[in-house]
Amino acid sequence: MWPFAARLLGGMLVLGLAACNPNGSVGYVEIKTVPATSAPALYLDTAKLEPVRNGTAVLRQKVGTSKLQVDGEGGQLALLCNIVVQKNRITSVTVSSSTRPPRCQCGRNSTETPPNRTCVA
Amino acid sequence: MSSVVAKGHDRGSFACVSTALLLFAFLCFLGAVPAAPLLAQGAAAPDARTADDEFSRQLNELKKTFTDLSKRIDDSAQTMGRSQNAEAARKEIEELRAHVGALLGAVADNGTVWNLGAKALRRAEDKLKALDQETRYKPEEKQFLIQRWRELKVATEGAIGELEKARKDFAELLRTLQTNEDFIDELLQVREHEKALEVIQRLTDGIRDASDKLKKLLTTIKPPGV
Repeated sequence: MWPFAARLLGGMLVLGLAACNPNGSVGYVEIKTVPATSAPALYLDTAKLEPVRNGTAVLRQKVGTSKLQVDGEGGQLALLCNIVVQKNRITSVTVSSSTRPPRCQCGRNSTETPPNRTCVA
Repeated sequence: MSSVVAKGHDRGSFACVSTALLLFAFLCFLGAVPAAPLLAQGAAAPDARTADDEFSRQLNELKKTFTDLSKRIDDSAQTMGRSQNAEAARKEIEELRAHVGALLGAVADNGTVWNLGAKALRRAEDKLKALDQETRYKPEEKQFLIQRWRELKVATEGAIGELEKARKDFAELLRTLQTNEDFIDELLQVREHEKALEVIQRLTDGIRDASDKLKKLLTTIKPPGV
């Protein structure tokens, strides 16, 4: 009885761990802040990011669409842009805080693009 | 040093692993696995292994992975250089992206190694502050400890600096791979097979450069305290 139960549970354990697939379906987000020294507090979905060091951060992120946000009025989060994260790809965004409110620009260069847009790798 | 935290997406994996561990504990209870030695090791580990030890261990592991990847990149460059089949080469790039992505994940701002480095550095800074206030030891004893922690802090900062460089290089390589892959895909869609092969040849040179950079990186990353 016990050996059978143990084998059964062992099988469940292997299946359970295989199903977890912790390395599967992740991509990367590169956030560049301009100017590097005065970046606003940023949120990726609802997780607050610590200050971006040296003006650039690279984050491992689950595949899907994430929201890059900043503190808005009345304690609400204000959307800067949506970031589409694709498997094993890197999506770059540039956050410019020289304007009020800050702007999110897709890509690594701060070329003028409409706000609240969706950035894709 | 700062690290960026975006942990929400880890919750699913955490729940999954927790369930598996729970099952494992039950298995131990049934007597199918000798539980006591495993539990004893697990209980001792967090106390014995400090943040800087763990950081050094992870850095050494990372260096091994870098070595494997460097070989993988060389092999890919060779395969792609010889290939006359743009579609096969495109598949090779896709596989290479997965390997480079795994490395980028390790050194990302919310990656394991980076977080351990941040922790190790914080510990060194806290220790230096605490030793500064310390009154129990003789001045020369205190000075000795301060000197050792200063050395450890400098070594940790050095390793973190190298990780930053690695992150930049991996991000750049991943971007190059994905852009070229997309371009090759576009060329194949318009039946420009020859042109796609030219792009692949150019990319092969870029990949070899990346491999050389990786090899250099292997010699410069030094785990603190080693």
